[in-house]
Amino acid sequence: MKATDTRAARWLLALCGLSTVVMMLVAVIVPRSFDQTYASYLRVASIGLIILLPVVAILMFTGEWSQRSIMTTFTQEPRRTRVLNAKLAVSLMMGGVAAVFGGVVAAAGLGLAAASGRPLEANLSVGHVIGYLLYVVLNVLGGVAFGALVQSSAGAIAAIFTINPAVALIGEVSTLVGDWIDTETTWNWVLDNDWGGHVPQILFSIVLWVALPIAAGVARAIRRDVG
Amino acid sequence: MITTTALTKSYKKVPVVRDVSLRCEPGTITGFLGANGAGKSTTLKMIAGLVRPDRGTATIDGRPFVELPNPTRVVGMLLDASAMHPGRGGRATLKIAARLAGVHPRRVEHLLDLVGLTDAAEKRVGAYSLGMRQRLGIAQALIGEPRALILDEPANGLDPEGIAWMRTLLRDFADHGGTVLLSSHLLHEVQATADHLVVISDGAVVAAGRLDDLLASSTILVRSPDPAALAAALQAARIDYVAGPGAAFTVDVSGGRVTTEVLARVARDRQVLLTELRQSETNGLEQLFFSLTAGKTAPSHGAAA
Repeated sequence: MKATDTRAARWLLALCGLSTVVMMLVAVIVPRSFDQTYASYLRVASIGLIILLPVVAILMFTGEWSQRSIMTTFTQEPRRTRVLNAKLAVSLMMGGVAAVFGGVVAAAGLGLAAASGRPLEANLSVGHVIGYLLYVVLNVLGGVAFGALVQSSAGAIAAIFTINPAVALIGEVSTLVGDWIDTETTWNWVLDNDWGGHVPQILFSIVLWVALPIAAGVARAIRRDVG
Repeated sequence: MITTTALTKSYKKVPVVRDVSLRCEPGTITGFLGANGAGKSTTLKMIAGLVRPDRGTATIDGRPFVELPNPTRVVGMLLDASAMHPGRGGRATLKIAARLAGVHPRRVEHLLDLVGLTDAAEKRVGAYSLGMRQRLGIAQALIGEPRALILDEPANGLDPEGIAWMRTLLRDFADHGGTVLLSSHLLHEVQATADHLVVISDGAVVAAGRLDDLLASSTILVRSPDPAALAAALQAARIDYVAGPGAAFTVDVSGGRVTTEVLARVARDRQVLLTELRQSETNGLEQLFFSLTAGKTAPSHGAAA
């Protein structure tokens, strides 16, 4: 309820949806740029989604610290882990809803493409759908991790938009970093349903970018003096 | 009942709150009085579990705040009227609080009416004046029908009419068995609202008790054309004093050791000329409080610290 009832939050979610739709329109209008398969249309939707979805997740965790309303929240519910759990649960739900929305947009894109007489390969497997869902949720959790740890909106957003590309850049040079630490590589394996021989790398990057920062962030939020 | 024992907190080794012990009984309004930066807010935040004390404990109805099962039903808090999401309307803010407290949504309308915000209920809190935010904050504190209220500077931003309204509201709350702890940096505000008083200065409690008793406690005013010499003489005699306005020193005589005669002898022995030496006729508490706050800016703080 608190994630969607302010103007700023609605704008951000609307932009998030918009970016997905725009990505899909680009895909429909410029069909030569990628394989004409069901799975790749879903992929386009996910790319549109994850531009802003992590930011929404970050703000879920940092917004109250920055707005100082965290003080009011913690005097209404002083068990801080419950507050953080609720935020995590809402983030996951939001990721799920966003993924479904992306699926609908992808289906609409496919419909348009089919209507224009384009040949499409119906290659969508359960694995693809699960990979897509996991990919969206992982990106939400990546945002959660930055937000939970940094606890400042500007800081966390700056961090996610600099650290991730920086790691990707290093990954270009070092395959060790690329295969184990760069989530643009490891989480794309998830998206592409390409698990073969990549499971340890994928798990390692999840621990590094999701589990550890969230654990550290929760510990920090519980101990932190407010106000 | 709100109780603290020896709450102590330092930030970067600078003590902010030192051994603060409070006891607020049901049916009373305790004024927590101190200058800006004296440690009032930090103490209240420690009671609220927002700030971890280095030492000491704070309980509400015998349990630490963070262990209360449904805290907003036990104690309502208004610690910072600006700590509300500016993008949400007044009604929406109270609805969230009502849901958390598990009270009927109808109570939201009742409270909006009580604090006079019904007409502004849909406006965003960001567009509220400070006085309106205080009113909303008080409504939010009251939402769970708590047994206790903790309010940090609730009179801030309220107009005289609003302050009178709040006094009546708090008196009523206490008369129905509620416990109120409110902080203020304004003595007159506290005097008009509270029946018990705790005065804090530099993080430590310097006076506490029933308002009536404290008002009766007496001080001696001593004045010299050479305040530096007087200060030196008092320090040498190990007499605590506070430097007030107009080179007048106030000496607390509640301990019984110091009398006008003792002070006169100290001055004579050290050859300090006195132009005034008398029991304070004015409000002793006011004297104490003014000297404590004035001492913050006076160049010769002396033994008062």
